[in-house]
Amino acid sequence: MYQYDDFDRAFLDERNRQFRHQVERRVDGSLTEDEFRPLRLMNGVYLQLHAYMLRVAIPYGTLRSDQMRALADLAERWDRGYGHFTTRQNIQYNWPRLSDIPDMLDHLATVGLHAIQTSGNTIRNVTADHFAGAAADEIADPRPVAELLRQWSTDHPEFQFLPRKFKIAITGSPNDRAVTRSHDIGLRMIERDGEAGYEVLVGGGLGRTPLIGQVLRAFLPKADLLPYVEAILAAYNAAGRRDNKYKARLKITVLEGGLDAFRAAVEAEFPARRAAFTGVDQQLLADITTFFAPPAFRDADVGLLHTARAVDPVFRAWTDTNLHPHRRADHAIVTISLKAHGATPGDATAEQMRAMADLADEHGYGELRISHEQNVVLPHVPADALPALHRALKAHGLATANVGLASDIIACPGMDYCTLATARSIPVAQAIALALQEREAEVGQLKIKISGCINACGHHHVGHIGILGLDRAGVENYQITLGGDGTERAAVGERTGPGFPADRIVPAIERLIDAYLDLREGADEPFIDTYRRVGMDPFKAALYDHAEDTADAA
Amino acid sequence: MSRRSFAPKVVTANHLLDGDVVYLSATGEWVRDLARAELIEDEAHAQIRLLDAERQKNVVVGPYLADMAPTGDGPVPTHFREAFRASGPSNRPEHRRAPPAPATPDPIVAPRDTVRQQDRQTEGAL
Amino acid sequence: MPHDQAPMDLAGATSAELADRAAGLNAAYRNHSAFAVMSRALDDPSVGQVALVSSFGAESVVLLHMLSVMDRRRPVLFLETGMLFAETLDYQRDVADRLGLTDLRVIRPDQGAVAALDLDGTLNARDTDACCALRKVRPLEAALASFDAWITGRKRFQSGTRAALEFFEPDGSRLKINPLACWTPDDVRDYMDNNRLPRHPLVAKGFPSIGCAPCTTAVRPGEDPRAGRWRGKAKEECGIHFVNGRMVRGPAPKTDGTTTEKTVAKDLVTEEDAALAGGPADAAAATHLIARDDGFSAEDWHGPFDALADLGGAPSVAVDVPPDADPATLAARLDEARIIRVDFPSFSDGRGFTIARRLREMGYTGRLRARGVIADQYAMARRSGFDEVEVAADLAARQPEDQWLARARWRAHDYQARLRG
Repeated sequence: MYQYDDFDRAFLDERNRQFRHQVERRVDGSLTEDEFRPLRLMNGVYLQLHAYMLRVAIPYGTLRSDQMRALADLAERWDRGYGHFTTRQNIQYNWPRLSDIPDMLDHLATVGLHAIQTSGNTIRNVTADHFAGAAADEIADPRPVAELLRQWSTDHPEFQFLPRKFKIAITGSPNDRAVTRSHDIGLRMIERDGEAGYEVLVGGGLGRTPLIGQVLRAFLPKADLLPYVEAILAAYNAAGRRDNKYKARLKITVLEGGLDAFRAAVEAEFPARRAAFTGVDQQLLADITTFFAPPAFRDADVGLLHTARAVDPVFRAWTDTNLHPHRRADHAIVTISLKAHGATPGDATAEQMRAMADLADEHGYGELRISHEQNVVLPHVPADALPALHRALKAHGLATANVGLASDIIACPGMDYCTLATARSIPVAQAIALALQEREAEVGQLKIKISGCINACGHHHVGHIGILGLDRAGVENYQITLGGDGTERAAVGERTGPGFPADRIVPAIERLIDAYLDLREGADEPFIDTYRRVGMDPFKAALYDHAEDTADAA
Repeated sequence: MSRRSFAPKVVTANHLLDGDVVYLSATGEWVRDLARAELIEDEAHAQIRLLDAERQKNVVVGPYLADMAPTGDGPVPTHFREAFRASGPSNRPEHRRAPPAPATPDPIVAPRDTVRQQDRQTEGAL
Repeated sequence: MPHDQAPMDLAGATSAELADRAAGLNAAYRNHSAFAVMSRALDDPSVGQVALVSSFGAESVVLLHMLSVMDRRRPVLFLETGMLFAETLDYQRDVADRLGLTDLRVIRPDQGAVAALDLDGTLNARDTDACCALRKVRPLEAALASFDAWITGRKRFQSGTRAALEFFEPDGSRLKINPLACWTPDDVRDYMDNNRLPRHPLVAKGFPSIGCAPCTTAVRPGEDPRAGRWRGKAKEECGIHFVNGRMVRGPAPKTDGTTTEKTVAKDLVTEEDAALAGGPADAAAATHLIARDDGFSAEDWHGPFDALADLGGAPSVAVDVPPDADPATLAARLDEARIIRVDFPSFSDGRGFTIARRLREMGYTGRLRARGVIADQYAMARRSGFDEVEVAADLAARQPEDQWLARARWRAHDYQARLRG
C-alpha cells in the first residue's frame, strides 16, 4: 500500500499550517465568512445543522490498520466516539469544534491521511473499486492510477474554483463496483490489441438531473491519462455554467452543448497539455505501482472453512452473504457490515474501528477498504482464518450477515445532520431494516438506497428501490423509485407515483416486498430482474391499492 | 384576514467557534437553549434583531429568523427542520451539546442508537 | 411650490431669447457631423464662452479627444462628487495626461454644505435627489457661472427621455451643446476603436454607464445600458429643477415668464458626469496595490487598459480580459501586448486560472496580472501563470502584505510540477 514520501509529508504539513492560519484569520476578521467557506470546504470542513462536520478522505477507499486506528483516535479525542463512513469512501465526524480541527488534521497527517478536497467546487477524493487488488474478476489494479490522480488533483492551481464539484471514479474490473457511469469522469481500465489504456466516460451524475455517463474516448493510451483529464477539466472550467448551481455540473455542460462539442473542446486543449508532460508521471506511476504489490500470501487450508460451515449455521449464513471471491482460491474478500439492524448505516464506534484494525493485522495482512456501500472490507483473508475472524467480529457487534440484502441500506445523513436535507434518511433506514429483518434471507439480493434530498448522496436513483425524502408543505414525505442500477448495467430508477408520509413509508416498502415475492419466478430471480421482466405496473398496484396511504389521498 | 399576520420568530444561527445551534436572547446573549430565546412578535423588531445578529460576524455564522409558536414553555418550532435543530439528531439526540428540547412523537418509530460516550456538556450562554 | 426666494443670478439672456438661438443653430447645423458641430460651436460668436463638462465616464473620452484635437487649451470641467469610483479617478488622470488637456478644472461640492447635509456620506441612501443636488447640480451651476454654453456627451439612444435630443438646446440661462446627439453605440465604439482611445476600466466589469459609486451597479447582458444607474429607484433623469433659486422635485413647472427656471439634467452628471478628477494628489490614496513575490508595491503600469471586447481590430499594449473570454481570440495580440489583466468577477470564479494557463501555453511571455483574487489564492495564481495580483485598497487593508507573503513560496510543494517533470 502507498506510503507517503518526504514530498507528500512536506506538502501535507504545509497545507495543515495554512489551514490553521486560515482558522485564525477567520476569527480575527482577515477572512470574511464568504471567503472562509470555500477555503474550509476544500479542507473538508462543513457547517452542518448542529455543528461543524469534518470529512476525511480515504483515498480510493484503501486504509492501513494504523490509519484506521488514527480514525478511531479522532472519534475519541475530538468527537463523540464514532464516525460515519459515507457513500464516497470518506469518513465524517459530526461534532468537531472549529478550533479543534487543525489538531485533528495534524493527527491524521501522522499516518498520511487528510481531508483535502473532500468538499468544495474542486476535484474530489478519487474513488475506486473497493475490491481492487483482490477481486477474482479484476483485469488491472486501479489503485496506483487512483493514487496518481490523487497527487495530480491535489492543490491543482487551475481547478480549485471550478463551476461545481468534480468526481472521478476508476475501476479495473468489468463488473463495475465503482459506479463509474455516475461520475463526472469514469475511467475503465481496458486493453486493446495488447496495449493498456482507458475507456473515458464523462457526464454521469446523480442529483436532481440523473444522467448516465457517455464515452468520450473509447481508448486512451495509458501515458495520455493526466494531460487528457487535465484537458477535460480545463474545458469544463471554461464552459461550465456559473449562473445556476443546479446546472453547473459537467453533466449539464455535456447535455446542453452536446457530447461532440465537448469532445472537440477537449481535443483542442489536449495537445498543449500533452506537450507539458515529459513522461516523468509514468515513471512515478511505475514507482507507485510497486507499493501496491500484493502481500506475501500464505497458503490456507480451505477444508477448515468447509468444516466450520457445516457445523455452524450462523457462520454459514455470514459466509453466504459477506464473502466475495478472491483472486486466490484459498483466500476470501470479507465485507464487514456496518448495517446492524436498527443501527445507523455506516456508523462505527472508535472501539469497533480499533477492533477492525486489529483483525486486519491478525487475519488480513493489515489492509482494510471502505466501500461506497458504507461497509468495511478486509480484502485478503485466508480461508482458514474465517471462523476465528467471524467469532471476533461477533464480539464487537460487527458480524451482521446482510451484505447485499434488504437491510444493507445506503442512506445519507439526511435532516438529522445535513443543512441541505429536506427530510430524514437514517430513521427510515433503521425502521426498514428492522421491518425486513425476518425475511430478508428469503428476499435475497436487493439494494435499497435512501436520500434525504434531491442531491442524492444516498444514490437513490440507482437503488433497486430508491427512496427520496422531501419536505411537502412542512412535513416529511417520501417518494419511491424502482429499477435503478449502479453497476455496469447502469439505469436510473423510475418514480412509482405520489409519495408517502413518514408513518406510511415502511409499510409501503413492505408491500413492494410482498409483491416481489408473489411475482418472482423463483428464489434465484432477484428483485431487479423481476422488475425488469414485469415492469412497473404490478408494483404500482401493490403500492397504491391502499390509496389512503399516499399523501395525495389525505 | 385581509393580510397575513406576522408569525412569531426567534433569531438563530450557528456559533462560529464550535458550530452549535444558538439563539438570540432578549438580553442580546447567544444561548443554546431555545426556551431562553427571545420570541419576537413584531416584524420591525424582528428585522432590527436580525441586523443586530448579522453585525456579529465574528461570533456567529448565518443568522436568520425562524418561525416559532408561543407556548407556556417558551418558543416551539413550527417546522420540523427547526425542531431537529432544537432537539438534536433523531438517532442520537443526546449528542447535542445543549440539553435537547423535548422531542415530538416520531412517526417513523425508529430506534435510537445506544449512547456510547458521555457528552461533553456545555450549557448556558456562550 | 415655494417661490419665496430671488432667482439665482446666472446670466442675462431670457429663456425666449435662448430658445430662438437654439432653434437657429439647430437649423444651421442640421446636417453637420458631430465634429463640425463641436468645432464650429467653439468659435461661433452666437454661442459665446464654452466649456466641456466631462464625467470621464464610459464614453467621455470621445468628446475629450475631439476637443484635444481642436484646441486642448479649452476649459474642461470635471465634477468630482466625492462619491466616484477609484477607477474613474485613475482613468481621469490617464486620459487628461494622454490627451494633453491643459485647462482641466476639478469641481467639488461645497465642503460647508457637505458637512451640513451629508457628514457621514449616506445622503444618497436617504434621498438620492438631495444628494445629486448637493454634489452635482449646485457645484456645476457655480462652475458654469462664467460660461455662456457647455458641451455635453448626451445622446439620443441613451434614454427614452432623450429621444428628441437636438444639437443645441436652451438650458436655464445658457446653451447646452450635444455634439453626439445623433450617435449610436456603434458610432461611439468605432470612434474609440479608430482612435485607439483608452476604455474606462469599469466598462469591462459590466458598467456601461458610470456615475457615482453608490448609485451605479453593473448591468447584466441584454439590459438597457443605463439600467445600472439609480437601480431600484424610480429615477431616470434628474428631474431636478431650480425655480426661483430653490430646488424642487418633479416635472418642470410651467413658467409664467417672470420666474427663471432652469433644469440641470442630472444626466449631465450622468454619463459625462461621473466626473472625477480629484486631482492627482488625492486620488492616489484609495487606489490599489500590486502583490508580487516580494510583497506589495505601488502600481507601476501607468497607461490605460483596453477592454478586449471594445478593441475590435485595433492594437493594444494593455488588454483587459473578461472571465468569459476565449484566450484563442487573443492569439494575434500576444506579441504586442505588454500587459494582460484577467478579471475574476468573484474570487470563487476560477475561470481566470485556466485563461492564464492557456495564454502561457499560447506563448505569451509578457506581464500577466490577476484582478479579484484573495491572498489565499496567490500561489494558485502564480502557478497558473500570473506574474502579479492587483489588490484593491479595501482588500489590502483586510489582508495585509504578510498574508500575501505567506503564499509567496509558490514553487514549493507543487505536485503538478513534479508530475510534469
